[in-house]
Amino acid sequence: MTLPAGTTLGGIAAAQRPARQRAGSPTDGWWPWLFVLPTLLGVLVFYIWPLFQTGYLSFTETGPFGGETWVGTENYAKMLGDKNVGLALVNTVVYTVIVLLGIPVAILLASMVNRPGLRFATFYRVLFFMPYIAMPTAVALVWRMIYNGDFGILNWFLSIFGIDGPYWTSTPGFAIVAVGIVGMWSSLGFSMIILSAGLKNIPPDFYEAAQLDGASRWKQFTSITVPLLTPSIFFVTIISVINGFQLFDLLYAIMGSRNPAMQQSQSLVYIFYNQAFIHNNRGYAAAIAMLILLVIGIVTWFQFRMQKRWVNYV
Amino acid sequence: MSSSQLAQKRKTNTGFSPAQRGTNNSRAHIVLAVVGFIMVFPFLWQLIMSLSTNAQVMSVPPTFWPGELQWQNFAAVFTKVPFLSQLGVSITITVLRVLGQVVLCCMAGYAFARMRFSFKGVTLGIILSILMVPSQVYLIPQFQIIQNLGLLNTVWGIVLPGIFSAFGVFLMRQFFMGLPTELEEAARLDGANPFQIFWKVMLPLAAPGISALVIITTLWSWNDLLWPLVVTTYAESMPLSAGLATMQGSVSTDYTVMMAASIMAMAPVLILFIALQRRVIDGLAFSGTK
Amino acid sequence: MKKKNIARLAPLGLVAALALSACSANGGDEAVSTDSKATISYAVWDENQVPALKQNIADFNKEYPNIEVKLDVTPWSQFWTKLQTQASSDTLPDVFWMNGPNFQLYAANDQLEPLTGLIDDKKIDPANYPEALDTLYSYDGTQYGVPKDFDTLGLWYNKSILEQAGVEIPTDAWTWDEIHAASKKISDTLGDQGVYGMTTSLTGGQEGYYNSILQAGGEIISEDGKKSGYDSPEAIEGIQFWTDLIADGSMPTLQQLSDTTANVWFTSGKSGFFYSGTWIVSELSEAENTMDLNVAPLPKGERQATVIHGLANVISSKSKNKAASEAFVTYLASKEAQTTQAEMGAANPAFNGTQTAFVDSVPHFDIQVLLDAQDYAYPYPISKNTAAWTQLETDLLPAAFSGDKPVKDVANELATKMNEALAKE
Repeated sequence: MTLPAGTTLGGIAAAQRPARQRAGSPTDGWWPWLFVLPTLLGVLVFYIWPLFQTGYLSFTETGPFGGETWVGTENYAKMLGDKNVGLALVNTVVYTVIVLLGIPVAILLASMVNRPGLRFATFYRVLFFMPYIAMPTAVALVWRMIYNGDFGILNWFLSIFGIDGPYWTSTPGFAIVAVGIVGMWSSLGFSMIILSAGLKNIPPDFYEAAQLDGASRWKQFTSITVPLLTPSIFFVTIISVINGFQLFDLLYAIMGSRNPAMQQSQSLVYIFYNQAFIHNNRGYAAAIAMLILLVIGIVTWFQFRMQKRWVNYV
Repeated sequence: MSSSQLAQKRKTNTGFSPAQRGTNNSRAHIVLAVVGFIMVFPFLWQLIMSLSTNAQVMSVPPTFWPGELQWQNFAAVFTKVPFLSQLGVSITITVLRVLGQVVLCCMAGYAFARMRFSFKGVTLGIILSILMVPSQVYLIPQFQIIQNLGLLNTVWGIVLPGIFSAFGVFLMRQFFMGLPTELEEAARLDGANPFQIFWKVMLPLAAPGISALVIITTLWSWNDLLWPLVVTTYAESMPLSAGLATMQGSVSTDYTVMMAASIMAMAPVLILFIALQRRVIDGLAFSGTK
Repeated sequence: MKKKNIARLAPLGLVAALALSACSANGGDEAVSTDSKATISYAVWDENQVPALKQNIADFNKEYPNIEVKLDVTPWSQFWTKLQTQASSDTLPDVFWMNGPNFQLYAANDQLEPLTGLIDDKKIDPANYPEALDTLYSYDGTQYGVPKDFDTLGLWYNKSILEQAGVEIPTDAWTWDEIHAASKKISDTLGDQGVYGMTTSLTGGQEGYYNSILQAGGEIISEDGKKSGYDSPEAIEGIQFWTDLIADGSMPTLQQLSDTTANVWFTSGKSGFFYSGTWIVSELSEAENTMDLNVAPLPKGERQATVIHGLANVISSKSKNKAASEAFVTYLASKEAQTTQAEMGAANPAFNGTQTAFVDSVPHFDIQVLLDAQDYAYPYPISKNTAAWTQLETDLLPAAFSGDKPVKDVANELATKMNEALAKE
């Protein structure tokens, strides 16, 4: 039953690996720049330059419509003493973790739905991708109705089992979890698109070999699908973390800005938005933006460092 | 082995032996059906609410079937939004963004995955860093750039920042890194230059990745709200997402009409997705190889 | 710190003033003529009012056929984000809607064009509009906005629920005691059907606690906009009014009101009373139970009081078509334009005497009650950075309404923090 590890699969991978370290010039000359330059220029103009402006603003006290005064690190000092910022960081992490829990589910579902010859596969795909297709504001509205403490179908469902459901979107603690579940629900389709593309890339010979060895489906899943899917899994993980840390739209649309639980449930980007566009405090908002960049940067850097341990590139 | 040979091999080979293909998938069906129902339930519920009265929406226990269907909730949407003209804007900006991203991201993604050049890590780091900043942060500076370029209220003004995508570059990089290297080596030995290798050998193999990028960019562009609202000033230059958001603001408490409006906002991409689903996901995977 | 900016800007303001006077010396006389050509933009947020606004533009074009007015409708949730982005890039729309909380911010930062010229030329007469609104849109003695419409508050009630619970129809003699007792009776009688006596939004002050604070004889902010009024015994009483209603079940909890907003409770026949304003008329007239609904004056506390607020049309100081914009705003300020708004049921117009058309637009409501409320109305409380302390209200007051903290403690904390915020303006 067991797959003779290191023979079939390992053999294929090992055979391919030396090919990468080919001899020749250390670089490919100017070709790479031809490929990269258009994107690089666009990114520099439309994103990096604004980012530098934001960095500058974070050291200023900025009027609502521009006109800034240099205040040094005052905004950063204020940020460190702002307990809402710490709370927002915790909320953001909780949300991100909930969304990440969706990835293993997406891997399983993607591998099932991509089974050759599975009937109704198209139908299932449509079901799974629907949440991802929907407009976020529209989706939030439906979930608000589902979560409604007095009239929502969720609490009605729970009441069948004798459970007295909470006011999901207006109770501190519950609210961020409720938003996280919607986040997981709506990103599952995204993960499945990426993972399905990755699955298409797995050479069929691997499965044939495994079958000849008599490996079970689960064994094939854990020793072929998952390892060879790791570049896609890595991608989905990174993007989910980055998106998770940028939680704003869903939170705003599901809870609303005047929710009594909002102060305990706000995310980092929510504080940024509130300071920049509601309180017209763009200097302080810029400092929070820099914090968001720093936190996501560290987490992403760490993930890239770790990828060597678990991501297989052919 | 040439690319077309490889494609041929893939086409005939589904990855499972005929024997296994016949095996029982019932457990998979149970799991997929249960999870699928959970995934789709909010939409069913939305559809039911859009055909109910407001009193039914607020009833306890829930009204699972409205009895008399309230189609006028949908009619109310049509009277409020210039649906067709905004649909045109939505389609135009989406097509331009998708084309732009596919070209730019495939090229850059390939270079980062397979080419060797100095400052590669730094360049990739710069591009990826923009992913880490929430889009609201860029809003005012990007608006000022578009204004200085004189592109306010134009299709290009809506499209422009969005054709450069760090996400797309990263996606295509990961995808290319997952592809086998032998083909490239073979082409290189045959004397092909890097562009020929990219265009003739690698791009066709990247079809599943490209189709994923196409789907994701289409949906993002279709649903994008804040940026089009800020760079356009008049209803005729707005896409559908912005038009429907404007409409929602006017019926903020009429749940049933809002549900109908959200269904209509989703409908075009949903129909497109269902119609092209096979072709996009399965077909594209082979079409590039002819 | 904000002062620093102002000081820095002061010389600029002077230059601007000089430039302006130079302008009026040169080109002031060549006021826009009926065949002037221009295109101006007009930014608004309420899709419901678009038909009436289009009618206004069409009528304006009868006189100025070559001034094209392009309507820019942005939903409320993105309106101020967009306006701030535009203001930061000197691309504000030529003419746009303004509300009380944002007005001083835009006026103080030189984004708005003074209307002094139009008033001096007798094209616009402030005496035509409620005084409270003229005051709302004046900054440092200069008028920047022409009132477009106005809102006061009333006590809306559901006749059928009142009847079922055996509660009398409210009269203009009602006080806090009557409304509380009546609400309690409804909740007690019909509570098993999920019906509450009172539902009112407590997320902002305008519908609920601003009114009760004023009725108790207190104030939200001092008249000069420099000091918080929250630490007065009257303000505390005004907040306590709502805490008491929630405490004995006369009113749903804040969480219930967050999940299901007050207007939805009311329009779906699950509440007997509802404090709301003129803006709710069109929504309630289209509700499924509209024939059961009507409005009475707000119950009195120590005195009779309501908040009055309204929108204004303002001109951007950076407009490239000021003459055309002024002509358009002058038209929007006219009796004719505001009557059109009223007749089409878009809004309760600000021009004195034109409101009759609005009253007649929904005959089964006593809308006159809301117009009469003008006589005892107090201006909506604002300062230069209103958003800073309304956020404090949103953050702090829920603990008082829910009874988690004593109202007095919360009010004092709110006053302290609000005074800090005001000191920074």
